[in-house]
Amino acid sequence: MSMKTLQRNFYGWLLVLPFVITLVVFFVFALIRTVKYSFTDYDLFSEANFVGINNYINLLTDELFLRATINTISFSLVVTIIQTMLALGLAVLLNSRIKAKSFFRTAFYVPSILSSASVTLIFIWIYQKNGFLNGFISQLSELSSYFVLGLFSLAVVQLVQIAHQRFIGLPTKFFDPLLALISMITTIIVIIIVSKLGLLETTTVKVAVNWLGSRDDFGPMPVTLWAITIQNIYTTVPTIMLLFLAGLQTIPHDLYEAADIDGANKWQQLFHITIPQLAPVTFVVITLGIIGTLQMFDQVALLGTSSPLESRITLAYYVYYQAFSDSGTPNIGASSAAALILGIITLCIVFLQNKFGVKEKS
Amino acid sequence: MNKIKSFTHWLLLGLILFSSTSMADKKLINIAGWGGNDVVAVNKLLTTVIKSELDELNIEVRYFPVESDYGRYILNSLSAGNAPDAFYVNVDLIDSWVSTGQLKAFSDSFAANAQRMNPVLLDAFTVDNQLFGVPKDVNSLALQFNIDVFKDAKTPVPDENDTWLTLREKLVSVVEAIGDEGVLGTCLSADFAHFSPFALSTGWRPFNEEGKTVLDDNFKRAFNFYVSLVHDGLAIIPADIGQNWPGGCFGTENFAVVMEGQWLSGYLVDKSPNLLYQSTLIPADPKTGERGNMLFTVGWAINNNTANASDVEKVIALLTSDKAQRAILAAGLALPSSNTIVLPAAAEDSPSEQMAQTILTASTLDNVIPYKFGRYGKNWQTPIDVALTAAMLKQLTIEQALSEAQRKYDEMIMISTNKQQGEQ
Repeated sequence: MSMKTLQRNFYGWLLVLPFVITLVVFFVFALIRTVKYSFTDYDLFSEANFVGINNYINLLTDELFLRATINTISFSLVVTIIQTMLALGLAVLLNSRIKAKSFFRTAFYVPSILSSASVTLIFIWIYQKNGFLNGFISQLSELSSYFVLGLFSLAVVQLVQIAHQRFIGLPTKFFDPLLALISMITTIIVIIIVSKLGLLETTTVKVAVNWLGSRDDFGPMPVTLWAITIQNIYTTVPTIMLLFLAGLQTIPHDLYEAADIDGANKWQQLFHITIPQLAPVTFVVITLGIIGTLQMFDQVALLGTSSPLESRITLAYYVYYQAFSDSGTPNIGASSAAALILGIITLCIVFLQNKFGVKEKS
Repeated sequence: MNKIKSFTHWLLLGLILFSSTSMADKKLINIAGWGGNDVVAVNKLLTTVIKSELDELNIEVRYFPVESDYGRYILNSLSAGNAPDAFYVNVDLIDSWVSTGQLKAFSDSFAANAQRMNPVLLDAFTVDNQLFGVPKDVNSLALQFNIDVFKDAKTPVPDENDTWLTLREKLVSVVEAIGDEGVLGTCLSADFAHFSPFALSTGWRPFNEEGKTVLDDNFKRAFNFYVSLVHDGLAIIPADIGQNWPGGCFGTENFAVVMEGQWLSGYLVDKSPNLLYQSTLIPADPKTGERGNMLFTVGWAINNNTANASDVEKVIALLTSDKAQRAILAAGLALPSSNTIVLPAAAEDSPSEQMAQTILTASTLDNVIPYKFGRYGKNWQTPIDVALTAAMLKQLTIEQALSEAQRKYDEMIMISTNKQQGEQ
């Protein structure tokens, strides 16, 4: 090895040394300690006694741990899928030729710069039994007869207009904007008349869904975790949207022009050009999404006593809950075992995603 | 010019040497507790009330307030070996923390001197006949009622003669009279701490003689009553109106009664300064005629690894002395744990003083136990909390909720017993 190569290697190592030290101290050393403690009954103070795989066996028989595992995996899959699709949709919309594009980009990104604590407090308020969400649904339910009438009127007026246009020989699309505007104005007038004449009755509906205090399940997750899902998607979609937007800028415009010439419509362009071309970004987004959601902690912890533990617990929170138990005695052994299981689950899901899910190359 | 410069240098050096010498002479004791009101309370003691005594002992005390997650801070610092010499310990954590070997027992002479304090509190901080904590204050629950609400509803206010049933009748009367104006009966928290006065007044105890938790018929009777208040539209839970605790509900001025401790008075001064309220004892069980309650307290404990155990004891003795507790009481920050302190008669126009009197009376009644659950800590109350939530929200029937809670207690106690046997 020449002197020059040696010198270059030396500077290379020198530059990565801070990162290597950080990695060794805060990851490798911590990982080794965690593995060691997971086989002991360590409680921060007493001698760590070797207990074999007892901690792991206890975890597998602990209802709370099993609940946390199911909650975590369900949460991760649901959030990752929804947030990726939503972010892609928003990015495609914002990448199209719309007015005030910069305003919408900024407005959509705002939720991402809010702190988790603030967003959680806002959502606790929204989810209260007499909060915004239940109030909004109650209002919608009370006015449901007007909505039905409105939709019916809109469809009828639009159909009549389309029929008239085609009758006089004009090729008109069903969603023609001008006709839609006329239909909407007509519908509003119909609703006002019906309302003034008192022809439709509104029923008082009091929706009182217990979003945060409920122990009920809805599908694969407790209702409370669905509430956290909505909150989490609200805060993460904007960042992912930006990643997709950056990806969209790199797709050559020639591809769309060629597709246009070949007669491909917008949906065909989306599925055959945009999505395949965004594969590297989608791969990153999904991988980071899975890792991030499997480690969900802050929004669960911030909900505090607003909801029962079993209806909101995730594996990351379970690790904390064992380490700083309400019993006052830290259960570091069980906490370490749970942390390792969380790590293994994360690796497995990311591996499965890489193997069978979205690939880095289209 | 050079002379002035040189003089200034020597003067500065002299000052530094003087201050460092005087600092070195004094023994430094570090103590830790909560943030919030306690910062004012403890620093007031250190800088004025017990300052002369500390100077005589040649001790300097530094208070480290911990604003949040206090328990985690102490556990981390104890395990890292840099914990303060003395710190607060919640009564519900005393058994667990003693079992970790991190607390030092107070000397026999200190323990003998502490006998002037509430015996239930002292007993709560005593493990294996050794005193590990000195209660700095005391609190329990009382029934607070909104005078205007009862006046508007033309209903007699709650009093010390009330039982569960007569209180219920009064709440029904209030809700029937002015319920349509948005006034509600009460706000009940789905947790054992708030529910405990009812359960304890029946004669039920968290642990039977065998150390097991049995949710017997007495417990079920109390549970039924508490939950029925919600089911019958006389009570709501705090989350229903976006509050975290019943006191928050009471602060909206739309509730007839609430059951809280002395901590409510400070909150109401800020939140609802014009609210006219008074306090009375929590009603008795109509069957036994008894009242129940829990004592909530925090004590000073000594770090087992402190190098100045005897000095720390002296500091704690001063911090919990009658003189110090009188000063804290006068500032309205806490109620004294010492039985030798007699509260002055409450002023008629001071709901806070009247509440203090009621709470101190409640803390000396029969069926009063400390808020602690042995080696289980606060984890013990989780099955009851869950059962209360499920029953109040009608997610489970009362029978199902209690059966589920009993199953969890049997499991919890079996796991703990097996663990103990394994350790032996």
